[in-house]
Amino acid sequence: MARSRGEKDLGPAGRLPTWAVRLLCVAFWLVVWELAARAIDASIVLVGPLEVAGHLVSLSLTGEFWASLGISLARVLAGLAAGVVAGVALAALSSRVRVVRELVAPVMSAAKAVPVASFVILVLLWVPSRGLSTVIALVMALPIVYTNALEGIRQTDPALLEMAEVFGVRPLERVRLVYLSQVLPYLRAGFSLALGMSWKAGVAAEVIGLPDLTVGEHLYDAKVYLNTADLFAWTVAVVAVSVCLEALVGRALDAAVKRWEARP
Amino acid sequence: MSAPGACAPAVELREVEKGYGELSVLAGASACLEGGRAHVVMGPSGAGKTTLLRLVAGLEEPDSGEVVRPRGRLAMTFQEDRLLDGLTATANVRLPHGRLRGRALGEFLEREREALRAVGLPVDARPVRELSGGQRRRVAILRCVLAPADVLLLDEPLKGMDDGTVGRVMSYVAPLLEGRTVVWVTHDPREAALLPDPVAWRVEDGLVRPARGRLVRR
Repeated sequence: MARSRGEKDLGPAGRLPTWAVRLLCVAFWLVVWELAARAIDASIVLVGPLEVAGHLVSLSLTGEFWASLGISLARVLAGLAAGVVAGVALAALSSRVRVVRELVAPVMSAAKAVPVASFVILVLLWVPSRGLSTVIALVMALPIVYTNALEGIRQTDPALLEMAEVFGVRPLERVRLVYLSQVLPYLRAGFSLALGMSWKAGVAAEVIGLPDLTVGEHLYDAKVYLNTADLFAWTVAVVAVSVCLEALVGRALDAAVKRWEARP
Repeated sequence: MSAPGACAPAVELREVEKGYGELSVLAGASACLEGGRAHVVMGPSGAGKTTLLRLVAGLEEPDSGEVVRPRGRLAMTFQEDRLLDGLTATANVRLPHGRLRGRALGEFLEREREALRAVGLPVDARPVRELSGGQRRRVAILRCVLAPADVLLLDEPLKGMDDGTVGRVMSYVAPLLEGRTVVWVTHDPREAALLPDPVAWRVEDGLVRPARGRLVRR
């Protein structure tokens, strides 16, 4: 790859591996964070990473921590799954029926533009708070998955569809073999994006709706009691779940695609 | 050109006109392609050979005139490979067969592997996007000739292949063409000699005519 002027190798033996560079960058910012916390020396304003880590370890030894994470995650994933199914189904319908496509377009644009907080307050009027993060995750995932799936369907090579028509490939097989292989990369990108958005929005919704035993409730408590260490520890947990989920789901999807491609 | 009603046609063109915008490709073409035989269609570039195949396949409608299309299932090798890049060679070849399961799948897979080896293709788990252009072409040909179809349409299937590969491919493919209606478009008159008892046609000046004395042994 071309290197910009002035860019140098990071080591005498050549380039450092990407993961090592990333690790060094993270370490740099952790040191900056720790130094800033020590300089400010006020735990209400800023807590250092060492203290946060310690706090996180003690939190993780409680059943409540895992129960809260599990409940929040399960509710968000349920909403995400519903959003993916609805998004793909709606995209398939929209690709065939122009009226549906035109009707749905402003709704999807609105869903993307409306602030999460407005949705949360509105949804709280309709459903109990324990169902809140599920609905919010669905609302976040639906337009992303719909847009990506529709784009994938529209980008499907017409030459391949023509080929399938000549060979008399049945509609279900056409979807499974022709459309799916073309839509999959779009769906994969949409899913990753929807996963991150749903999880963050779901937790944000819990902070407003305060359903019992959830991550959002703990974040709210941390704010009310000015427990900054707690706030940081729960935030780190949210980020860790997000990173792990994305890596796990990404790998699972890649492995599934590879297995599917390699079948005889 | 056979007179209307003189043969039992699998495909018949009656005064077919077809153009694209200002460009007229077929201008009153008539032909009767007998069923159960191989037909070689030759002619200069842009004469309308591919248009003829697309009309027969039902992918185009004539501007005027009539195309009597073949009954039964069709299979086609297009000018481009039109393979599903993410699937293996065997999965691509199996596409026209629907979802085979159990014993039927096992038996057909065995046939596919035999066919791949016969035409010099590797039998492995690679998706076809990792194959070379020549290998992909052979997969496209096998998909067509192994399809459960009565009518096979092939648009310059051997284009760009060396003589050795052509020989290898045709010694496997030619017996599979026997008794089926085959429309084989080519630039190379020598290809006609590779087909079982073919009828030669020439597309030129907007017409489809029987070609005489143009078949050359390869």
